[in-house]
Amino acid sequence: MAIAKQTYRQYNSTLTPARMRFAIFSRFYYAPLFQSKFIVLFLAACLFYPIGCAAYIYITNNSMLIMALSLRPDFVPAIDGSFFYSYSIVQGTMALLLTTLIGPNLIAPDLANGALSLYLSRPVSRTQYILGKMIVLLSLESLITWVPGVLLFVIKAEVTGFEWARNNAWLVGATVIGLSIWIIMLSLIALTLSALVKWRIAAGALILGIFFVGAGFGNAINSILHTNYGSLINLSEVIRIIWAYLYRHGYMDTNLTTFQACSVLFIVCILCLIMLAKRVRAFEVVK
Amino acid sequence: MNESSNNLIILDNVSRFYGEVLGINRVTLSLKPGITSLVGPNGAGKTTLMNLITGLIRPSRGRISVLGVSPSEPQKLFRLVGYATQFDSFPKGLSGYQFIYSFLKLSGYKPSKCKEMTLSVIEQVGLSDVAQRKVAAYSKGMRQRIRLAQAIAHDPRVIVLDEPLNGLDPLVRAETIALFRRYADEGRHVIISSHVMHEVDMISDEVVFISGGYVIAEGQIQNVRNEIKQERPLQMLVRCKKPAALASRAFEQDNVVEARILTEGDAVLIKTRDVDQFCKSLNYLAMEGIDIESMAPIDDDANSVYEYLIGDEEASK
Amino acid sequence: MNGIWLLQILAVVRLEIKKTFLSRRSLWVYLLAFAPVIIFFVRSINEPRQRDRLAEIAAKHPVSTQALNSIKEETTYEQVVEKLGEPYLKNFRTGRRGPGPEHEFGFVRYTDGETDVVLHFFDKKVVRISKSQVDNLPRSQTVFATSFQFYFLRLAVFFGCVGVFVNLFRGEMLDKSLHFYLLTPMRREVLLAGKYLAGLLATVFIFTSSTALQWWAMLRQFDQSVLADFFAGDGGSQFWTYLGVTSLACIAYGSIFLTVGLIFRNPIIPAAVVLLWEGINPFLPAALKKISVIYYLQSICPVVASKESNLPALVKFLISPTQLVTPLFAVICIIIVTLIMLVLAGYFARRMEINYSID
Repeated sequence: MAIAKQTYRQYNSTLTPARMRFAIFSRFYYAPLFQSKFIVLFLAACLFYPIGCAAYIYITNNSMLIMALSLRPDFVPAIDGSFFYSYSIVQGTMALLLTTLIGPNLIAPDLANGALSLYLSRPVSRTQYILGKMIVLLSLESLITWVPGVLLFVIKAEVTGFEWARNNAWLVGATVIGLSIWIIMLSLIALTLSALVKWRIAAGALILGIFFVGAGFGNAINSILHTNYGSLINLSEVIRIIWAYLYRHGYMDTNLTTFQACSVLFIVCILCLIMLAKRVRAFEVVK
Repeated sequence: MNESSNNLIILDNVSRFYGEVLGINRVTLSLKPGITSLVGPNGAGKTTLMNLITGLIRPSRGRISVLGVSPSEPQKLFRLVGYATQFDSFPKGLSGYQFIYSFLKLSGYKPSKCKEMTLSVIEQVGLSDVAQRKVAAYSKGMRQRIRLAQAIAHDPRVIVLDEPLNGLDPLVRAETIALFRRYADEGRHVIISSHVMHEVDMISDEVVFISGGYVIAEGQIQNVRNEIKQERPLQMLVRCKKPAALASRAFEQDNVVEARILTEGDAVLIKTRDVDQFCKSLNYLAMEGIDIESMAPIDDDANSVYEYLIGDEEASK
Repeated sequence: MNGIWLLQILAVVRLEIKKTFLSRRSLWVYLLAFAPVIIFFVRSINEPRQRDRLAEIAAKHPVSTQALNSIKEETTYEQVVEKLGEPYLKNFRTGRRGPGPEHEFGFVRYTDGETDVVLHFFDKKVVRISKSQVDNLPRSQTVFATSFQFYFLRLAVFFGCVGVFVNLFRGEMLDKSLHFYLLTPMRREVLLAGKYLAGLLATVFIFTSSTALQWWAMLRQFDQSVLADFFAGDGGSQFWTYLGVTSLACIAYGSIFLTVGLIFRNPIIPAAVVLLWEGINPFLPAALKKISVIYYLQSICPVVASKESNLPALVKFLISPTQLVTPLFAVICIIIVTLIMLVLAGYFARRMEINYSID
């Protein structure tokens, strides 16, 4: 019997720990993402408003500058819940646009090119796969939402003093929690739509559609049927109710309660998770 | 455009770049009727060349004429040309019959004529039994055949086929090759790309060797082989009872550059720059009592030519 | 030659129409188009009941229209009760809006039989007044006009056209099946015309059907005599104008998104830009306003959209205060825009190459 010489050597060096393996999916995606000049420019544009806010905080706390600009100190809006509420609306909208740009490319190409079964035939779970993809969105959205928000608070605390920071520490919690809820929901919706439709273009249109058509259709229901329940499908309004609650913004131009708003977001997130679990599989049924 | 050029596919100094990536560069070809095989490694530019001929992409430089028609005039070109691409995708929801029928209708034929042509071509490619089944449910070989059917359905004078024998079983392969031969014998152009060298050998009238976007050689295999005989002398295997004597006498010939006695069996491997001259001299040797059992060239086929022309280049990369 | 073109266009239309009309992929277009029909249908059931209910309440809790109209924001609860008496419905709660101090908030409702007024209170002061009037034909027309201009045209038809027309070329690029069309003896312009016509047939059919059904749902609650008077007047012309505006919206947006689908690898970015541009149209200077499709479509609409106070702030904001152009001029402008877009699309179709690997 011929005896073949054993030349095969298995890879026996260190492996990425299983709990950190999801980060591989994120890393794969970051590289081509930052090659896109448009995305980089857009990310830079997303920071214009926070920079403007930082400049505003600096100006409003510089008495000499206020005098030089002939501004009445009592006329300058305070840095309070309303300020951060407005900040959340602007940066939340930017996060939505960023999601529309990035989100569709996360799962749809893997489904269209049959890469999903290849990934999932490796020692990674579906949860790790989804988490890895979600981290991409969450990290970039955090970078333009709550991270600059917290920095604004720090700047304000720095120029105003410890007393202000202690009295307004709740603003940090409100910013982190409020914007985190928003970006988690955006990421889940984007991933779900990216998994539902194989075309990234269609997925992008659907993300836009859910927010814009949802808002329009909600307003149409309210207007035609003289009700407020149309706002339940207006996710932008729903999150504004929660932000208003967290920032102690006071009265909102709606009859929906915070509980109803939270319920809507909870249901949307659960639906997204169910659909993701259904779509992200190592096999595909071809009819 | 004169009459002779109206029967040729002409590429005149054609280049195509994909941004900074080279597709093909300065290709000048004049393809006559018959079967022409495009041969080259992956990424050599075969598909680019076919896409250029059929107008699916435009040349960055140069001019192309297909039987006197520019590829930028699809309304004229595709009356003459049929192209089976390598893309394994089809319009959604169509059966094999509907697929062929619909695209014949796009050519402007009347419904009755479309039906007749569809049935005929589906029969030619052997898909009559599954014609009403959705293309999405076809096997790889069936999809290959339905693509071929789409290319030949309108009875074109030029048939361009990108790796048409891939995925076909041996029987269908033989039938398809016979079909190509018939088309060539009718005076049509059949341009195919292939990696299977023995098939290229078997079916091609002419071969175009492409590598790295450049045409390295073109023409009949024998002629191409002759072109490189100075650098690559032709190898002949001669079997005889007295290999030592044969080797010694053969080496006296001017055209023989090497004579090697093979250890297994009574045979001599001769390398010659002039096969005709060597064969003549072999007759004299036979008359002198060296009993020659057989004689055969061993490197004048497409595979060897490919090895010599492209193999070296690939190896040197 | 023209005969062949016609045959080829018809063949393309036949192939394409299947994809748009009866495919699972286009279900969402139907949803988008027919959702307002459901809302108007619900309204047509709800409004007569509401009319009867308010009349009944007004008989039990009589309030004069003049007194109702005298209530303004910042009025206290006590002042309201003094002027209008006890409301027919009262709902107050104490609670926190956020982690701050407790507030009292809620609402009270009054009616004079014609208008249902909701007074929203925050810490015992009126902060918002919403009014919903009992439905009558002119009011229904205004509601229809508002929904038509601000939801149907701007969002439903817009996104429907994005879905259908972008799909015509870019969708086939992604499916890697466009080359089959390009391998037929057909001018690229003829292919473009066929695809555009197919998209147009589908969208015009779907969206005009929806407009007609919305119109029917809006009117079904009214008596025959009211409807007879309405159609004896300008009812018929209004109906046809709405159908015409819907078709023109499909024609114009269709040509834009067909071109966008041919030029851009990711058409969502330009589609979002167009959406934004059309959305901010009311805020633009007069000269820039005219560089949008919605401006001309609004000019043709037979009824001016509502400026009711209880409309959502966003909708109020969107209502255009500018001088609209004459319908004929608007139609001509839309056709010119469409032609420019189609010529541009033709140019790009001729230059189009099959290179699926970059998509």
